[in-house]
Amino acid sequence: MMRRMMRPMLRKAQSLAALAAIVALAALISPVAADGSRIFLQIGNLTDILRQISLIGMISLAMTLVILTGGIDLSVGSTLALSTALTAMCLTRVWPNASYSSHIALAMATALAVSTLAGAMNGVVVATLRIQPFIVTLASMIGLRGLAKWLTDNENIDIGFGRDVAAEFAAVFRQKAIVVGSFVCAAAVFWTVLTRTVFGRYVRAIGDNEKAAEYAGLPIRRTKVWVYSLTGLVAGFAGVLYAAENHQGNPNAGVAYELDAIAAVVIGGTRLSGGKGTVSGTIVGALIMGVLTNMLRLNNVDSNVEMMIKAVIIVLAVAVQRERD
Amino acid sequence: MSNSILQAIDIGKRFGGVAALRCVNLEIQAGEVHALMGENGAGKSTLARIIAGVVRADSGSLVVDGQPAAIASPRDAQRLGIGIIHQELDLFPHLTAGENMVVGNLCFQEGRLARFRRMELFCRPFLEQVDLRCGVHTPAASLSIAQRQLLAIARALSMNARLLLMDEPTSALFHDGVERLFGLIRGLRGRGVSVVYVSHKMDEILRLADRVTVLRDGQTVGTREAASTDAAELIGMMVGRELEMAGGPRLRASDEVAMTVEGLRTGRLCDISFTLHRGEVLGVAGLVGAGRSQLGAALFGLDRIHSGSINLGGAPLYARSPGEAMRRGIGLVPEDRRLQGLMMNMSVRENGTLTVLGRMQRLGFIRGAFANGELEPVARQLALHCQSLDMCVSDLSGGNQQKVLLARWLLLHPQVLFLDDPTRGIDVAAKQDIYRLIEELAASGMAVILVSSELPELLRCCHRILVLREGRMTAIYDSAEATQEKIMASATVSEARG
Repeated sequence: MMRRMMRPMLRKAQSLAALAAIVALAALISPVAADGSRIFLQIGNLTDILRQISLIGMISLAMTLVILTGGIDLSVGSTLALSTALTAMCLTRVWPNASYSSHIALAMATALAVSTLAGAMNGVVVATLRIQPFIVTLASMIGLRGLAKWLTDNENIDIGFGRDVAAEFAAVFRQKAIVVGSFVCAAAVFWTVLTRTVFGRYVRAIGDNEKAAEYAGLPIRRTKVWVYSLTGLVAGFAGVLYAAENHQGNPNAGVAYELDAIAAVVIGGTRLSGGKGTVSGTIVGALIMGVLTNMLRLNNVDSNVEMMIKAVIIVLAVAVQRERD
Repeated sequence: MSNSILQAIDIGKRFGGVAALRCVNLEIQAGEVHALMGENGAGKSTLARIIAGVVRADSGSLVVDGQPAAIASPRDAQRLGIGIIHQELDLFPHLTAGENMVVGNLCFQEGRLARFRRMELFCRPFLEQVDLRCGVHTPAASLSIAQRQLLAIARALSMNARLLLMDEPTSALFHDGVERLFGLIRGLRGRGVSVVYVSHKMDEILRLADRVTVLRDGQTVGTREAASTDAAELIGMMVGRELEMAGGPRLRASDEVAMTVEGLRTGRLCDISFTLHRGEVLGVAGLVGAGRSQLGAALFGLDRIHSGSINLGGAPLYARSPGEAMRRGIGLVPEDRRLQGLMMNMSVRENGTLTVLGRMQRLGFIRGAFANGELEPVARQLALHCQSLDMCVSDLSGGNQQKVLLARWLLLHPQVLFLDDPTRGIDVAAKQDIYRLIEELAASGMAVILVSSELPELLRCCHRILVLREGRMTAIYDSAEATQEKIMASATVSEARG
């Protein structure tokens, strides 16, 4: 009986142990700076890792909820691109007479509203038409990407190279503290939602056994619409940060982000069929991916080799955490 | 001992920290029907699955035809002539009957191409043998449960099985299906096929089996000749005490009406009318497919109601979703607790409180202490045995899982509780707990609708018994006048008898 109680703890410790092992390896093989310190362990580098994983990390937090309901959201990358493009367009093309702060607020609100709406649309179609989430979000992945490209005429909208509202926006929202802080806040919020709220309990229950959720009278449709809307909102927010960080509204941004987000979720031990998974696991999953990327880049490993190594890590991580009977 | 076909010697098996089998011995002779009995969790199914190669034993050995046998996979078992009919009938629903029979069948020489003609020639005699009248090309999903079971048996026979393991084969069947199955089993025995029959049902075992082996807590208690034993002895071996099955309900129902149903018609039901009083237990009897579960689905807002009316507590009820039905005070414990009832990855606590989170929250946050305060007394009332409320429900026995599901509905205090076969596949002691609970609920003024495949159970618990046949209500009996024979007649005989 003790062993039975210990098992989940051990499994949780496993992913943390994997993270610790990769951090230790990264420190060990890290190139050494002129002053003799290891570059990997410098504060600047460590916070860079956090910054680099923040966007995907945020998205994967929301993706965790989607996957817990037994669904998937392939449209997050396209939503991010749409949001990025909208932010840039609003900052450069409309409301020329607004004050800086209200202009920025309006631009963000527009981008977030549209992204949330896109997510809600996914949710409504998934929940009411009962089409598989994979298909629904595959369609919106294509459609939203098209929308982003059509709105921008296939062009990058550069922002923040002059001395205008866009520059102000980029200067604020590309700060490390803002980006990393957003991720940390999102993580705290999602963790609380999943472990402490009725909504979070419903999310897990629906993914665990949707039929039983129906028999228990749970609000299945409403919960799903909320989950997908939330994912749209988070992907949209990541898009706003992307615009600031890259000084552009790029309709081709975020390609394959959905896959990176899904990878972080499954490395974190969440079951792809739903019902089982944690936010803390996803955070560890995102960290593992981030540290790994950083380690390989510091050591000048070819980016194609990097992908191959990541492939192995994904399979290994899931193999280690798989359930035994 | 010379005609012993299989011996299992000192079999042990652990699942995680739990010992499912400790030291089990079983000996099967050629051409006998050997019943394997025991409460749920006693290890019957595990033993059957070990013999069939689905699960591997940790210790002990198997001997087939006097030779030590290593059965590491279902394929090994098939080579030795051992076939299993699982409780859940593991057929491929989208394949045809014939395809189901030849997939993985070592006796059927599969060429590169699927040869339909050859498949048909191969399958036909076995389908005839089990008297399954369906085309070889019928998809398994379109067969009834009883037909699927025959198909599973035909498949095992076509694999040249000399030993058939049947795990609770009648749990989904009603009277006529059971009789046909028994006839088939006797026929197989006549041809020298041995059958290991895993079941809870005493009368079936005493009628059918040649010998009975009883398991308790993963150990063999003993083997008896069926002819020289009786129910009392076997129950004594299973639980060590007598089973209380006598008498109808002890308390009278009140005259206050809880619910009236008039002329109810749905896609599967026709002209159902009854009145349910507070404190009353109304039984629902009928063959599988007679519309018993559909009655619950209609009341609970799962099926659309075409015509007729339901009146609950003085106001009409038109529930279009379970949520609405719940708010109006109807509860439903579904027939299949794994598929329709429980979240198998969630804890006892999470499962138990799922329907009442609405009142256990503040601003959307779950109030844990408050939830425990409500769940714990209910768990005690149900005699729910678990290490802690944080245990995953998948680690509980069937009976305790059912109690978790009941707890979920008791916390909601419904006015009308629809229990769809609540004792299906659970052990004797848990059944007693559930009978006691139904009595307590009725005494507290709740109206209970109890669906059951076991007539003694209905006679034991119900004030009145409603009988369904093919979606129509054919009779309603008071407990005083009801007998098994009358109910059976109403459930099976068509009106055309004159």
